Amino acid sequence: MSTWQDLVTASLIGTERAGVPLAAVPGLPFPADAPGGPADPAALLLDRAALLTAARRGGRRAGRPEIGSAPLPAADPDPAPPVSQAAARRLARILRGEHPDLLAEWLAVAVARGRTAPAHLLPALLDRARRVSPADPELRRLAAEAGGSRARWLAGLNPDWRYVSAHTLADDDAWRLGDAVQRRGYLASLRARDPGAARELIAGGWAAAGPDERLMFVKVMASGLSLADEPLLEAALGDGSAWVRKMAAEVLATLPGSALARRMAERALGCLRLHQGRHGTRLVVVPPAQCDGVMQRDGISPGPSTLIRGPASQAHLVLEVLARTPLRTWTGEFGRTPAQILALPAGGWAPVLFTGWARAAIAQRDRTWITALVNWALAGGLPGTPSDVETLGELVRCMDPAFAVTGTAAGVLAAMLPGVREAINVLRFRYQMLKELHDDDSAG
Amino acid sequence: MAERWDRTRVLAMAPDAPSQRTAQQLASGRAWPLTGAAEAGAVWGECRGSAAAPYRTVVDLSGPAYRCSCPSRKFPCKHVLALLLLWADGTVRDDPGGPPDWARSWLTARAAKANRAQPGETAEPKDPKAVARRAEQREARVASGLAELDRWLCDQARHGLAASQKHGYAHWDDIAARMVDAQAPGLAERLRALASVPHSGAGWDGRLLEEYALLRLLAVAYRRQAELPAPLRETVRSRIGFSRRHADLLADGPPVRDHWQVLARRDLEQDRIRVRRTWLRGRKTGRNALVLSFAAIGQALDESLTVGTDAGADLVFYPDAMPLRALVLAKHDVIDGSPPAGGTIGELLAGYATALAADPWLDSWPAVLDVTPARSPVLAVSDAAGDALPLHPGTGECWPLFALSGGHPVTVAGEWTPHGLWPLTAWDEGGTAVPL
Repeated sequence: MSTWQDLVTASLIGTERAGVPLAAVPGLPFPADAPGGPADPAALLLDRAALLTAARRGGRRAGRPEIGSAPLPAADPDPAPPVSQAAARRLARILRGEHPDLLAEWLAVAVARGRTAPAHLLPALLDRARRVSPADPELRRLAAEAGGSRARWLAGLNPDWRYVSAHTLADDDAWRLGDAVQRRGYLASLRARDPGAARELIAGGWAAAGPDERLMFVKVMASGLSLADEPLLEAALGDGSAWVRKMAAEVLATLPGSALARRMAERALGCLRLHQGRHGTRLVVVPPAQCDGVMQRDGISPGPSTLIRGPASQAHLVLEVLARTPLRTWTGEFGRTPAQILALPAGGWAPVLFTGWARAAIAQRDRTWITALVNWALAGGLPGTPSDVETLGELVRCMDPAFAVTGTAAGVLAAMLPGVREAINVLRFRYQMLKELHDDDSAG
Repeated sequence: MAERWDRTRVLAMAPDAPSQRTAQQLASGRAWPLTGAAEAGAVWGECRGSAAAPYRTVVDLSGPAYRCSCPSRKFPCKHVLALLLLWADGTVRDDPGGPPDWARSWLTARAAKANRAQPGETAEPKDPKAVARRAEQREARVASGLAELDRWLCDQARHGLAASQKHGYAHWDDIAARMVDAQAPGLAERLRALASVPHSGAGWDGRLLEEYALLRLLAVAYRRQAELPAPLRETVRSRIGFSRRHADLLADGPPVRDHWQVLARRDLEQDRIRVRRTWLRGRKTGRNALVLSFAAIGQALDESLTVGTDAGADLVFYPDAMPLRALVLAKHDVIDGSPPAGGTIGELLAGYATALAADPWLDSWPAVLDVTPARSPVLAVSDAAGDALPLHPGTGECWPLFALSGGHPVTVAGEWTPHGLWPLTAWDEGGTAVPL
């Protein structure tokens, strides 16, 4: 329709200086003007433009060659079925900003159950995993796996999501040729499939790796941990980088039967003893005299005040040791259940012991201890300073999610300590989330 | 007690997306040491903020109306939204003791005001002569306003549109304001929207000329309305901004009963008002319908028509040249819908052409297509016959549509406009409607 372009050109110049082109519409007499048109050329131009506008809009033909000429390749069908609709809605809520830190768990459960995330949420999911975690390969790996073949297909369309292919490459190209993110992704994914193979890859690459990569190695080893990993981690305690040393100590402390755990247990038993007195049994705390080099090598930080040997730094050392000690040390040595141990009087040391045990219980994912600690707090054992309440909140988050919806304890706790209410809300959200992920009835 | 809302309804009240995010972060028990709700439909709470004293937030659910002691200039503020989110989640308990004094005083003052307002609503019998005089005055004002608009449009064409890129917003806002004075709000809205066209990229000149031409067509049509058939006259007048009374509507034609598939919806913001456009299609009659609902910024939009469901309902159509806009007169039942039957691009364009013949100003037409989306050289959809249509540039990257399709055909519902397809809903393999 060249007459339309002529009209546009004339309108740009203005009818003061340009003539009004005639309008041609197929099927109408030429020129296509209504009878009795206006004398003003400007009005005439607008009238002709109106006629052509309606004619062009109504007469538009599909399939103009410049549009959609390059069809996309079709995505492979995914053998894994999608999650239930309720689970899909839950994922949408998480991606919109509700309890974002539960995203990894949602993905992990979906992956473990061999289900995929709904296709329409993948763009938001892949964006989130890309933005949130350049340093957290786990979320990217989970997003890539939960996204299945559709996520790989999308990654081919948007360079922002190319990390997806790093986590799903069948060969080890990502490891040999990839950048730091891709190598990390490959290693994390290998670790999940075959922990031994990942360990060998790490051992082989250790000498040539820089400090950042060594830190990444240790972080990757934290999942799928076994005693076979110990020699490598124990050697890392003498690493040149302080961050690597610290992370290795943290990982080893959660490994039951490791030499570090045994050393820690020895120290802990020196710190905390049962005392049979005339008024019954109680706990006695003997803080370590100092934080020697061996202790520091095992990851214990000397604390804020190494020079001032005050009570604050003593409490700090006790807490650091307790937090890294295998919890079965106590039940074994004292011959009591966690609840019985907590019931023993400990005087002014009680809050320190509570925090130390709480950190150990969370790191070692020990449900019995977590429940005992929460119950102890519920029974009024906790004075309730802000940091105690925060610790309690962290414990509650690690509880069996059913706690939030079954027992009345959760309600009591929330009413008693508003600071814990958020943790109970998270737990309730998680309970619903896990239920939906395990419920396949409504899978669509 | 008042029925608890769901989260969607609460979030729909938010003035913008950042408010939704901050409200969700704030919706945690930790930040709210005190909350409560009353049977009569009120929620209140104290929120710890940056100030020493907690912010006091109270909501009257019947309005909904709200008040918060925070200094935010957003309405509703994040505290109101967060409080309602907690309430929607069941975290806020009913308090048989009733609200604390600070909340009670505001709630009672509101209730008293509402009671006073009631008698005024029983409309006093209007003087028919006065009504007729006012109507006549308005016609005169609109007529002179449209004459002015016509002169303005011709001036643009006379001096040339090339200068438009140098004009600021005021160029269009001024003439829009004059249309408001002339009681032609529909024109004012169209004119204000034109300010962004000169900066909308290649082809802006053609788009601006189209709009100017259609505006003059409207002005001429109003001047010559006596020559027009009644439905077209209705359409011209409603596009200028004459509102139509519901009572007239009901007297005009019989309602259409059908199972209306709720195909798609789109929310727009216009000049301090939020508009929700909901597109329906009758299963039996095959008729298209557009239901509009309006809300002030900060108020929740109507949620009664859910995309993906079928609503058994009686609709009355406005008596337009191309009857599309409708009112839901009565809703009987709602069932889960199945995906609609998608059409071809050829059918869509033919339908739009027919509609344009009746109403040349129609720039939004319902589309239900079985198509495969493509990305290059422009975002587009193509159907089995090989026909293709571009997506509207305003839709952005449209990733969810592509993710859902995976390069396979998919049923899409949306709005067809002269500038491309605006996809709004797609149906997944399981037949579930997914808003895009």
